[in-house]
Amino acid sequence: MSVSETLPNAAGRMPATTPATTTSGELRAPLYVAWQVTNECNLACLHCIEESGPGKAFPDELSREQVFEVLRQIVENDVPYLSFSGGEPMVHPYFFEMVEYVCSQGAQLKIETNGHYLTPGNCARLKDLGVKAVQVSLDGASPETFNRMRVRGNFNLTVEGIRNLQDAAVPIEINYSPTSFNAHEIGIAVDLAARLGAHSFYTGRTMYTGNAVKTWGKLTPSEEQYERVFATLHQKAAEYDGQMRVHFHEMGLLDELRYRLHHPAALLIVLPNGLVKLINALPFVCGDLRKQSLGEIWGNFQRAWQDPRVSDFVDALARDPGTTSMLHKWVYL
Amino acid sequence: MQLAKYVKFREEQFGGVLFQTQTEKVYTLNPTAAAVIREIRSGADAAQIAARLKGKFHDPTGTIEGDILALIHDLQQKGLIGDPQG
Repeated sequence: MSVSETLPNAAGRMPATTPATTTSGELRAPLYVAWQVTNECNLACLHCIEESGPGKAFPDELSREQVFEVLRQIVENDVPYLSFSGGEPMVHPYFFEMVEYVCSQGAQLKIETNGHYLTPGNCARLKDLGVKAVQVSLDGASPETFNRMRVRGNFNLTVEGIRNLQDAAVPIEINYSPTSFNAHEIGIAVDLAARLGAHSFYTGRTMYTGNAVKTWGKLTPSEEQYERVFATLHQKAAEYDGQMRVHFHEMGLLDELRYRLHHPAALLIVLPNGLVKLINALPFVCGDLRKQSLGEIWGNFQRAWQDPRVSDFVDALARDPGTTSMLHKWVYL
Repeated sequence: MQLAKYVKFREEQFGGVLFQTQTEKVYTLNPTAAAVIREIRSGADAAQIAARLKGKFHDPTGTIEGDILALIHDLQQKGLIGDPQG
């Protein structure tokens, strides 16, 4: 999360940051829109940071007309990068139409999926449309761990989906959530991701929010397990240097939120009903795309980070980490 | 010479930003660097860019040409620019 590199230029230095560390106040629009296009999901994962699952679509999810109005504004504001997640984004009724629109307008798009709909045909279509990457959640290196964690999920189908991406030459990213019963497989999972042709492997501490609140007692890794996970990841990052990027956050949620109070991310989180959150790990909503323009919400976003209720919430989190279980009770700023 | 496949450029009041979406790294550009990127996007080569921008920017120390060439070299090293097929 720190400044990692610099490039010289004609009048000084050109630092490299990430959307999360770019000083958003200086920018005329977000650099990244992370859109949870639906809360509906074919799986009911124990660790889901949303409250997603079968039959869990919000009753007020955006209509087709509203979806394309939001996309039009994103393009008009020259937002260079979007992701579609969920729920499971590939069950959204207009999924491919949305992908086609974004890619045809020159923005780069990442799909975050559980991989169960990555048929050869769908992968070929994603390749033709020009998605930047497909990130697949692979929380385990065996059917035993994966299927236990991803209720209704199928490890073999997910791996087959990743192979289909590989065959279609779609850039692949893997996401892995450590829990008490899959933490020991992290190294094998990194190796598997590399064999499947992934260019990036993402992981970090599993969050106490969404569906995970109900299962936390059985789910959460011990600190000793996390220590072993991160030690393995350091080793794997060195092993795959130049082949696959092994990217992980050792920082706990509280440290990250404290950092972001002073360095708001250059990204907007859009919920399936068009509400816009400050950040996934806070309950605060700074706009509603059904009623406000993206430009107006971007202005609200800058101001909302300064609202004392935001820092108060982070302080409350320091006193009681269980406060994250309230993240889905939205607070309008 | 063109921006690499996964690199996006956006104009900003302070100059611009380059966003490498594969690594998710953002590079902040001052007006001179942003002008270099605009020229790269138009397909100009390093010598053409240096020649064009020397006339556009105040250069009392006479270093702008060297700075521009150094910037282009670093952009290449970082994989932010490549040939048109890249």
